[in-house]
Amino acid sequence: MEAVLRMPRLIATRLRASPMLLMLAALPMFVILGLVVALVWISFQTGIVGTPNATYTLANYAEIFGDPFVLKVFWNTIIFTLSTTFTALAIGLPISRLTERTRLPGKGLVYTIMTLGLLIPGIYTAMGWTFIAHVRIGFLNRWLMDVFSLDQGPINIATPVGMGFVQGLNLTALAFILTAQMFRAMNPSLEEAAKIHGLSFIGTLRRVTLPLAFPAILAAMIYMLTIGIATFDVPAIIGLGNRIYMLSTYVYLKANPPDSGLPQHGVTAALGTVMIFLALLLTWWYGQMLRQGHRYEVVTGKGYRPALIDLGGWSVVAWFFIALYFLATKLIPLLLIAYAAFTPYLAPPSYEMLSKMSLAGFYNLNWDLFWRGLYNTVLLVLTVPLITLLLSFSISWLIVRSRSRLRYLLEFGAFLPHALPEVIMAIGALLVALFVLPKIIPLYGSVWLIAIVYVISRIAFATRALNSSLLQIHRELEEAAYTAGLSPMRTSWRILVPLLRPTLMSVWIWSAILVYRELTVAVFLISQENITLPAVIWSYWFSGATNQAAAVTLLMTAVLTPLILIFWWFGRRQLMPES
Amino acid sequence: MISIRKLCKEFTVTDGKVAALKSLDLEVAEGEFFVIVGASGSGKTTLLRCVAGLESPDKGEIRIAGKTVFCDAPPTWVSPQERKFGMVFQSYAVWPHLTVFENVALPLREGAQKIPRREVNQRVQEALRMVQLDEQKDRSSTLLSGGQQQRVALARAIAVNPRVLLMDEPLSNLDARLREEVRGKIRELAKQLGATVLYVTHDQVEAMAMADKIALMSFGRLLQYGEPMELYRRPNCPEVADFFGSVNWFSGTRVSAKVVETKIGRFEVDMGGDPGPKVLVGFRPECVQIVERGHGPRPNLFDAVLQSSTFLGDQFVYSVRVDDQSLMGKSRILPICGDRCLQLYVEPAEIMVFPQAERQDPLLSATRQE
Repeated sequence: MEAVLRMPRLIATRLRASPMLLMLAALPMFVILGLVVALVWISFQTGIVGTPNATYTLANYAEIFGDPFVLKVFWNTIIFTLSTTFTALAIGLPISRLTERTRLPGKGLVYTIMTLGLLIPGIYTAMGWTFIAHVRIGFLNRWLMDVFSLDQGPINIATPVGMGFVQGLNLTALAFILTAQMFRAMNPSLEEAAKIHGLSFIGTLRRVTLPLAFPAILAAMIYMLTIGIATFDVPAIIGLGNRIYMLSTYVYLKANPPDSGLPQHGVTAALGTVMIFLALLLTWWYGQMLRQGHRYEVVTGKGYRPALIDLGGWSVVAWFFIALYFLATKLIPLLLIAYAAFTPYLAPPSYEMLSKMSLAGFYNLNWDLFWRGLYNTVLLVLTVPLITLLLSFSISWLIVRSRSRLRYLLEFGAFLPHALPEVIMAIGALLVALFVLPKIIPLYGSVWLIAIVYVISRIAFATRALNSSLLQIHRELEEAAYTAGLSPMRTSWRILVPLLRPTLMSVWIWSAILVYRELTVAVFLISQENITLPAVIWSYWFSGATNQAAAVTLLMTAVLTPLILIFWWFGRRQLMPES
Repeated sequence: MISIRKLCKEFTVTDGKVAALKSLDLEVAEGEFFVIVGASGSGKTTLLRCVAGLESPDKGEIRIAGKTVFCDAPPTWVSPQERKFGMVFQSYAVWPHLTVFENVALPLREGAQKIPRREVNQRVQEALRMVQLDEQKDRSSTLLSGGQQQRVALARAIAVNPRVLLMDEPLSNLDARLREEVRGKIRELAKQLGATVLYVTHDQVEAMAMADKIALMSFGRLLQYGEPMELYRRPNCPEVADFFGSVNWFSGTRVSAKVVETKIGRFEVDMGGDPGPKVLVGFRPECVQIVERGHGPRPNLFDAVLQSSTFLGDQFVYSVRVDDQSLMGKSRILPICGDRCLQLYVEPAEIMVFPQAERQDPLLSATRQE
């Protein structure tokens, strides 16, 4: 009895946290838990799912694993994911090696290009590459057909390998960051020792560098596999129209069947559950690999710089490679989107097409839809980053400052959204909104449903950034404020927020950009009312109105550009491993 | 002013629990400069943080000026904000994004006691003048030296006119010379303000120089508390004696009420007791007197062979052997003689006698080497 009476005071004083702070931190945990539980629960139901009338069954799982088409989808996903990972590493790893260990001129520009690579939405690359290499309409294919007088385009981007290549281009910047961090942590004297003891360049690479780097490279690979397995935007832009399905797009098909079929929510949930399982497995494996990688981290003296390799004439080749990457992933796709926006139909650029360029595509837009999309997107950009920061700040503060064991639970909870891809959260949110909540809170079709999922999925990144910054603020700076009589709220506002400002700013702008360009969650949860700008693009694209989609994309870019510039100002240093 | 009863605090660490405070009792009178001293890990900072309200004890009671701020039964908790203390932290905790002036003004403006705007200026100026920082008031606090930051922290703590000033090793980050200068000023300032001060340090010299009263802590317990001279001259256990300075220890047997027989001979002591049990006798190096030879056998007089001597400026520290026991002495004159033989004398009043616990000896001889 006494112990019970002591509990609230104990928790409050032990954590030295106000009940409000605890609530703010616990709220996202419950949402995540709710989404996952609902997903798993519905996956065992048929009939009228989500109600007491539902029948509990394993039929959904039987349907997944018994259907040869689903097996084909699994196979597609595996090929796609491997292709993604291979492409990203094949481009990202050499570039990070070049910037970290050679005297390549203009390294600053490489970092700039890579940051842009992180910021420019994946759908741009996907649309651009459809224009380049679609089997029928792709300009490159048309050109090759003309030159070699072929009946069919020789390149097909709408295959698992092709889509994996495009997604790999999108993830190159990420591969670059991950492997650059690895090179930073690796003691260069280990390689130097091999050289001094007579190993050739190739020998050193084969016997020392690669074995040392292997756990970290494998960890980067697993990280990208985790992302790849649940990627929605690229398979949706390129694959859906051509009926090549990945797990993520297949789930979409089950939830939004074409030709007025009935949505199979039980199957959707079962697929989501399988994906949760895969994602958690990969995340666990990733953690294992990271731990192994740290074993090799030999502590180097402070200010110790590796001897940089002189590239000589090879730096021209290196820059050619980097420039090619930039052209292929950013510049050409963007130029082609701009071109498509001003042309009446899709045709390779020619003198004739140039004369047909006009603003007609813009006049024909459904401006009502566009403004609604822009309104919703702006609403999300204004609210989601702020709420994310508020919640993440509460979580981080408790993780870093409290000594209660509950903090481990919080840490795990805040990490979960990182492990769970957006597709899964989108399905979870869809099911919860449709079957669990409708009587309590009618969220379905509301922009706030999208907002909730956005906040949850951004929390993992935000808390990690805030944790490391908060750790660097001496505990006594806060305690000095408490003893001086400042309330916890005022202490946060007057002491912590000003000291954390650089991190808060960069997390805010980074979340804003991600929210602005986000497609996956939006596509799963849209209705007429809560459509977002990327979803407007997608619906034009999906209905075959390619030129209108390009027009909206161009308009969207006009808003994105200033956001990116703001990001440049505040956030670059936080994300890039620039010294 | 501060009254602590049976205070207990445990910390959970990875491999179990560690008791930082073990049923600790303490009384601090109003206006007293009270220093808590102890080795690192003795629980002194935990005690201070419990008083400040930054740490919540498990059991016991803390009363400030007659008002209970913490008690386990009935459960009572007063937040650190409402305790209205001034505190100087080991890291100074000067807010780096604020200027010197703003650092001192923030608690006045936004703290628990809302002070009128006009008065704030005046009080900040006054506090800064007291620590001689009034000319640097508009400087960014990141541009200050360690000593200046320490003074900002002090000004911030006194500006709120606290009933109690808490200081957690405020001088440990200053260099040696500055430390000596500042400790005099802190004491002066505290006395001028008439504040009750609870001051934590690991440095026994600092403690003796500043304190009205000292409490020595070890492994979560108070070993002894009292005036500095009392702790130095009349420690209640060998640990206290050792903490405040080096001691020559010898184990022996009490042969009569005031005579102890040891390996190096008989000691006549002032501290009487029943004959019989094993005892530990000890005296400080500065109590060893070099006397002229030829006095003949007499109590407390020993023939010694000089081993080494070190000149420290204000004194010589020398080491001698008596029989096969080592002994340390301090002297203002050069302990020199032709054949390296000396005769030493210790006053009976200077000799400390403690009952000897069997296993204490090796521990003590280990600490004595420091």
